[in-house]
Amino acid sequence: MTEQSELPELDPVIHAQARLRVVSALSTLREDDRIAFPRLQEILAMTAGNLSVHLRKLEDAGYVEVTKTHRGRTPTTLIRLTRRGQLAFEDYTAALRALLNPKEEP
Amino acid sequence: MAPSDDDLPPVDPAESLRLIRRQQAEAERNLTPDPRVFLWPWGLAWLIGFTLFFLRFGPDGRVFVDMPSWLPLLVLLGLIVTAGAITGVYGARAGRYLTGPSAQQGAMYGITWSVAFAGAAVVLSQVSNLLPVDQANLLWAGVMVALTGALHMAGGAMYRDRSLFLLGAWTSVVNIIGVFAGTGWHSLVLAVFGGGGMLVAGALAWLRLHK
Repeated sequence: MTEQSELPELDPVIHAQARLRVVSALSTLREDDRIAFPRLQEILAMTAGNLSVHLRKLEDAGYVEVTKTHRGRTPTTLIRLTRRGQLAFEDYTAALRALLNPKEEP
Repeated sequence: MAPSDDDLPPVDPAESLRLIRRQQAEAERNLTPDPRVFLWPWGLAWLIGFTLFFLRFGPDGRVFVDMPSWLPLLVLLGLIVTAGAITGVYGARAGRYLTGPSAQQGAMYGITWSVAFAGAAVVLSQVSNLLPVDQANLLWAGVMVALTGALHMAGGAMYRDRSLFLLGAWTSVVNIIGVFAGTGWHSLVLAVFGGGGMLVAGALAWLRLHK
């Protein structure tokens, strides 16, 4: 039982296939780069509605920043991973590795 | 909103790690501009343009193919303008979906190429008509190719792209060898090893991205 409780907990915001994929894709951007919504949608092969729902959940957790702006007359939505989101993603992958190799943990 | 299947957690940690790696690889593939579009138009321009120069202005004043003396320059410039337009439009489009430091960096790098070539062209045009035509050809091609090699090496340093750096170093060395080989030979060396080098580099970079 004690063994069980020492296992790291997985962040429930990221621990859902769709949001894990969103955060993984955003993690490849360089710090402070923002990606346009349609391009992110293309990379993830999600519907616009589905992606919006997951982005909102990530935004509520402070993991992504969604900016609405105008490029000329065209409205554009830009997305970036926040510092907090980057850290959460790193913690999540570290937790996964710890679950896979529990003996490596002190 | 009803939860959908993809709201479910991945089955196990190993599957999660695989999902992360797959998605990151897919994002890299999608966001990295196609290296063939950046290199092949230039490789073809050099291959065709400098081959014509070699055939018309061969070593020791030899003429292998008796075409009008203005034709090689016209073809080379036409192909270079076309290559510049293709890579310029493609680069600008590729930058449209990303904003931030990377986009600024890309724009600055693009402007650097234009400014460097404009500057060199202005200087060379002041002196090249004092030289015999084959020496003038060597001067123009030698300086422009030296700039190309140096800018590719700088691009490799900036993007931490070893293959772009190596292409620049290769182009620089090939150029120096060609200049020492002399008028006429310089064009042949640039066509085969300079243009050919860009075609090979574009193909290798593309293969690495899609393997």
